[in-house]
Amino acid sequence: MSLGCVLSEEEARELRRRLADWGFINKQPPRIREALKYYVEKGDLYVAARIAGLTVEEFNELRVRAGIPNVA
Amino acid sequence: MLRRVFAVADTCFLIDWARFRRRDLLFRLFKTVFVPEDVLNEVRSEGTIAWISSALSRDYLALYTPSQDEVNEARQLIEESRLRPQIPSVDLPETICLVIGRRRGYVVLTENRGALLIPRYVSKYSGVTVWRSLEVILAAILEGVIKVDCSRPDEVFNEYSRDTLHIFPTKALSKAVEEVRRKCLGK
Amino acid sequence: MLGEVEPQITEEEREARELRRRLADWGFINKQPPRIREALKYYVEKGDIRRAARLAGLTIEEFRELLRNAKIPVIV
Repeated sequence: MSLGCVLSEEEARELRRRLADWGFINKQPPRIREALKYYVEKGDLYVAARIAGLTVEEFNELRVRAGIPNVA
Repeated sequence: MLRRVFAVADTCFLIDWARFRRRDLLFRLFKTVFVPEDVLNEVRSEGTIAWISSALSRDYLALYTPSQDEVNEARQLIEESRLRPQIPSVDLPETICLVIGRRRGYVVLTENRGALLIPRYVSKYSGVTVWRSLEVILAAILEGVIKVDCSRPDEVFNEYSRDTLHIFPTKALSKAVEEVRRKCLGK
Repeated sequence: MLGEVEPQITEEEREARELRRRLADWGFINKQPPRIREALKYYVEKGDIRRAARLAGLTIEEFRELLRNAKIPVIV
């Protein structure tokens, strides 16, 4: 059963940008910071994890700490 | 010059290219430049990572996850290169790029001398197109991506050298500059 | 065919080595700890960045930055 209401990519990106804790993000070391910024823009967990040099699970935890929603 | 659609870049190329003032011209030459995961793992400096992740988010760069088969071939290529003393050291990031170049027809972007020599010495890779920054800049000029000052045909190459502390070999640079002069004369 | 290619490579490599020797900041190089110093000297002679980085115990990017600090050009 479809619940409808699928966000467009642009809407998802706007939501991630708005809800992200930029104070937390900007305090991170360069690789982590860039990976979080990438995730905000693209929502691609795998690539973001690779940029950060973390496993997907580790990056996902970081994403949560950074307040960035996983917008499906 | 043939229009190439895709390229794959290794560490040696990216860490210098990222310092070039005209680095984004790369994305006007190729539809997508792929970056193997092993290459991304080697990049550490803030400036380079920032440029790469920005380009990833704009879809100019894309991450390439090699298959186990490709990794195995890349390891075999390392072994083969060790049997040839004329070839300087190459590691997995370079050989993965060469394997991708062979299998997928991507232009391989590298500044690693070993990677440049492999197509000459290992016949299986003789068809792989390998470009240094020299060839990338030349292609950009010849395809009109960079407007060149015809009174100073070597200027863009010099810019690259200054930005990166990278010198092009005299003969190769002369040939490239000559091609630029010919373009300027409309030949 | 191989015979035609090799002399050009050797000449190119010779030119590159001479340039690296001439442009290197030997004052900087000689002040480095032994491992780094030897790796830089190796690179000046051989131009093999992967091996030199390994000798230095550095990542390739770290070693590349070291080359800049030592004013040793990459010649490719």
